[in-house]
Amino acid sequence: MAASLADAVAALAERGAEGAPLAGATWIMRAPLRGEAHLAYVGLSGIPALRALSIGETEIGIGACVSHAHLARALAALPEARALAEAAGRSANPAIREVATVGGNLCSAAFAAADLVPALLCLDAAVELAAPGGTARLPLADFLAQRDRLPPGTVLARAIVPRPIAPGATGRSAHIRLPLRAAGDYPAAIVSLAVALDGDGRVATARLAVGSVEPVARRWTALEERLAGRPLDPDRAAGAAADLAGAFRPREGIEASGAYRLRVLPALVRRAVAAVQASS
Amino acid sequence: MPLEIVVNGEARTVAADPMTPLAEVLRDSLSLTGTKLACEEGFCGSCTVLLDDRPAMACLIPVALAAGRRVRTVESLAPADAALSPLQAAMESHDAVQCGMCFPGMLMSLTALFERQPAPSRAEILAALDGNICRCTGYERIVEAALSLGGETAAEISA
Amino acid sequence: MNAPVKAPVIGSDLKRRDAVDKLRGRTRFTVDRVQPAMLHAALCRANLPAARILRIDTRAARAMPGVRAIVTAADAPGLYGVGIADHPLFASGEVRFNGEPLAAVAAETLAQARAAAAAIEVELEPLPAVLTMADALAPGAPLVHRDWQSYEELVPGGTRGGNVAWEASVVRGDTEAAFARDDVTVVESCFRAGRQNQVAMEPRACLVSFEDGRFLIETSTQAPWSVRAATARLLGVPPSQVRVTVPAVGGGFGLKFEFALEPFAALLARAAGRPVRLANSRQDEMLTSLSRENAEIRIRSAVTADGEIVGREAVVLMDCGAYGGEQPFLTTMTAHTLGGNYRLGSVKLASRAVYTHTPPTGAFRACNGTYNTFALERHTDEICAAIGMNPVDFRRRNVIGDGSLGSTGQVFEGDVLGPMLDRMKILRDASAERRARRDSRTPDGRLPDGRLYGCATVVGTWFVFVGPSAANVNLNPDGSATLVTSGVEIGSGSMMQALPQIVADSLGIRPEDVVVRAADTDSAGYDVGVGGGRTTVSLGVAGAAACAEVRTKLLKIAGDMLEAAVEDLELGDGHVSVVGVPGMRVSIADVAQRAQAVTGPISGSGAFTGPGTAAMPGCAAGHMIEALDLPVFAVHDVEVAVDPQTGHVEVLAYRVVQDVGRAINPRAIRNQVQGGVVQGLGYALHEEVGIGPDGRILQDGLETYRLPLARDVVPVEIDLYEGAPSLGPLGAKGAGEIPILNVAAAVGCAVAGATGRRVQEIPLTPPRVLALLDGSADLTLDHIADTWSDNLLPGSRPL
Repeated sequence: MAASLADAVAALAERGAEGAPLAGATWIMRAPLRGEAHLAYVGLSGIPALRALSIGETEIGIGACVSHAHLARALAALPEARALAEAAGRSANPAIREVATVGGNLCSAAFAAADLVPALLCLDAAVELAAPGGTARLPLADFLAQRDRLPPGTVLARAIVPRPIAPGATGRSAHIRLPLRAAGDYPAAIVSLAVALDGDGRVATARLAVGSVEPVARRWTALEERLAGRPLDPDRAAGAAADLAGAFRPREGIEASGAYRLRVLPALVRRAVAAVQASS
Repeated sequence: MPLEIVVNGEARTVAADPMTPLAEVLRDSLSLTGTKLACEEGFCGSCTVLLDDRPAMACLIPVALAAGRRVRTVESLAPADAALSPLQAAMESHDAVQCGMCFPGMLMSLTALFERQPAPSRAEILAALDGNICRCTGYERIVEAALSLGGETAAEISA
Repeated sequence: MNAPVKAPVIGSDLKRRDAVDKLRGRTRFTVDRVQPAMLHAALCRANLPAARILRIDTRAARAMPGVRAIVTAADAPGLYGVGIADHPLFASGEVRFNGEPLAAVAAETLAQARAAAAAIEVELEPLPAVLTMADALAPGAPLVHRDWQSYEELVPGGTRGGNVAWEASVVRGDTEAAFARDDVTVVESCFRAGRQNQVAMEPRACLVSFEDGRFLIETSTQAPWSVRAATARLLGVPPSQVRVTVPAVGGGFGLKFEFALEPFAALLARAAGRPVRLANSRQDEMLTSLSRENAEIRIRSAVTADGEIVGREAVVLMDCGAYGGEQPFLTTMTAHTLGGNYRLGSVKLASRAVYTHTPPTGAFRACNGTYNTFALERHTDEICAAIGMNPVDFRRRNVIGDGSLGSTGQVFEGDVLGPMLDRMKILRDASAERRARRDSRTPDGRLPDGRLYGCATVVGTWFVFVGPSAANVNLNPDGSATLVTSGVEIGSGSMMQALPQIVADSLGIRPEDVVVRAADTDSAGYDVGVGGGRTTVSLGVAGAAACAEVRTKLLKIAGDMLEAAVEDLELGDGHVSVVGVPGMRVSIADVAQRAQAVTGPISGSGAFTGPGTAAMPGCAAGHMIEALDLPVFAVHDVEVAVDPQTGHVEVLAYRVVQDVGRAINPRAIRNQVQGGVVQGLGYALHEEVGIGPDGRILQDGLETYRLPLARDVVPVEIDLYEGAPSLGPLGAKGAGEIPILNVAAAVGCAVAGATGRRVQEIPLTPPRVLALLDGSADLTLDHIADTWSDNLLPGSRPL
């Protein structure tokens, strides 16, 4: 158990490839069931800085050890961050949400159905990485692309969500997840959407991310372009999603085929646009 | 490495590998077998305990992360010869129990809910049980028993 | 002053005596038990579906820290089975499924046992595997059991051959002539149903010691006498050397109706001279559970324009996996489930258990009935569509009634299903929500939120498995009574509610004054086990008979004490009283004490077995149950909404009218109905078992094997139908098993109605429903021959 971020970075650097950070442990405790051996873990949850959550004028800073439940409670009254609150407040089940952390959700490279990843992508989040050489901030998408080959000693310290969604506009966001039961599942597909409207009610900025469909969540920029400059229209958005869905290379799973994940995307896009519309 | 955990109000020292699941320590070292292990990966809720008053799956908590924290198990709800807690008593009087394996977890999830929300709605009760599987009862008697403690049913009667 | 009104024990909602400890977390299930000096065990399992065993070398494992014993096939010479003895404890010579045990290890800690099991050196040579029934039945398919002919048949009469482990058939009347009539419509349907894992929350577990030359087995089982017999057979020791006791069982649902881990632990306990605990992890349970079998059904019917079913032919394939297990027995149920519900002019049924290189399947609540009822009721709806008849009217016209012939020619007694359908109409029509939903529909049948609405009413035929049971009742000097049976409390409450209620009613004492002895094969007589809805009936009748003997003895002594004729005495309120003479009474405790001086302590014994109802001679071949001694019926009704964009099915309302004979504890029955329906919803909608190319089950945990959660279900509206004929105690019937029977049928029919598509396969997961809406191809079963008789093995045909 590290007492400070610096200690954690040093301990992990020393352990090299054998080491790994441990936050809420909900993913790591299942390693033996996945046939993976435990590593030499460095516990992060005692580091006060990583448990901090701040909502400022220009950004929301979320420590890596903030739990899903804590995040959901903190963001409850913030309409623009609705996507993130929903993602944190509906993932897995209540007892997991109390323990599972933001950092763990972003760092578990094999966890394709992570809820927070698309939610943070649509909010244009960045992450702050602490490493022996110092601290660096990089866009979440860049972090996702390299997270499984970061040098030992790298610790994801915070996620940062910039405010507002677009300059001068009030943003809204939504997170639509599709579990196969009513709740309690990992979703088969996720659409997270953040939108800022201009004075005429047209979409000034739209960021839409898709999770659980491919192995790693990503923005759907082609669809964002089709939403921009027009009033919100769920059906038209769904139509555009159907046109463009061929761009994904969906993952096959025991619970759902890749074809199913693609097939439901337009419906999730429709729901996301409708949810944003309803909260505007 | 010995670790100190406050279990059901009492400081206990346990010696275990730090990655040992808390549920195993409770059951094997402290003889608190009320906490059940039924799926061992956080999807069934049978091992739900309260960790610093919040529900947590004891199968996924490495014991090292429980060090210095307060753990409450089902055995704490009606200690020694004390009467059943109101929630337990409602389960008994509604004949909600069947095989009984899921009840320790159900009770802890619902206890956490009632400590924050003394009169939960049916929807809130259902949501609180999103991580608790019962294979016998079909849930309805459990939900009814929980509602009888002052939630929606009481509101409807007084309305 | 009026005499105090005695609350009747029968029909009361008696609470459970085991609830308080279960709620306190004090109940110690088998998995919670430990013993001093106890060792932990682990199994070494094969990782191929079919292979020749070249080498199993345990030397390195034996040298590992903490290891106290390792046993292999050489230590367990016997073969086990229900119809055919085909199942060795360990794979011997050949591996037949991925996960088959090869060796067992006992060590000081579980980690040491697992490490040693992993260190056993195993060399396997892969053999071609048949993983589906289509593969297993293909011409020239590899045989799962090349030596099948050499196996001992434990029950005579079945036809076997190659990969067909057992075949049962029914022939009544001339179906060829029926199908050839020019006034009939012929409707043919194919169906497929997946496996369903029981997922008892307490995994299979046992704790075994070897003392004074006997195996003492404490285990989580439904059938202590079966564990006793199977362990003895597999180990090659006399059954009297095995004692089985059963603590509280954390769910069974059929999973624990066969032996499980006990023989492994027994061998290790004997080898190590120490008690051995062996418990499955959830992953073990998911990979090796004796799931409900997957099945394939082809059925066709000839029906006249006014809805008379003049002919029916069907073939049912049941996947028994690598070993027969319960399936040879369960083939018998097709006659009564797929062949049930309706009056048939002529009928031919073939029910075949098929070997595949997959984990063995077994019993699960309403075995065989769930998928056959799904198939029968969906087929019935397809008939109704073909002849243009209302599905409820068709059922009302055709259901079995008083004097109707069953498929094997048994004569049914009493009109039950018909009046139950009428009761369902009342229940349905009373629902304002249903009316509102139906009124809100758009012209194309959608709900206002755009989802597709569907509803269905289906019927089902089930039975009580009336096997042998024994009971003893001891009257104690304090006026209490002790009921000694081999019955097990698996969670359903029968041993906690109905049985003490029956004894209390018979002896005039309070249910709380009836002590129920936990099962112990050393103290109670033989019992088939808890399952098949039989506990209340079989143990109830045996218990009531034992009570009758106690009553006789009790009244005789009380008559002497009260100086009254026995005919003038009545039992109640813990006393023997002289009828009509207030105050002339003596407590049962006093009588029991008096008896010690006069006759010795009072006890009684009772026994029960099924009467053996007759089938029509020559109709049934290979059946272990040719006719139902105690049929039970159910009518289910469901309303669903289907999301056309995602394929999600939401159950909006669920209604059950259930034939209970007489409700001894109505609330406990309702709890069984609610729980059984929810298990059925899991089967119909969520729970899926797939088998990978390596023969391993894909869903190895509760992440991917999705059980219904609280938000997935609805409160079931329940009407208990009393008064049907029953040989059960006080007219009762088993109520715990049948609630799951019709659920997949109801949901399947409702989803077909909502979507306008042919629902042929369950579970109806969102991906499967969406594919259906997108026009997925019809299911065909080409490995079931077009001509019914071409499906039979030579020599299997009745007559």
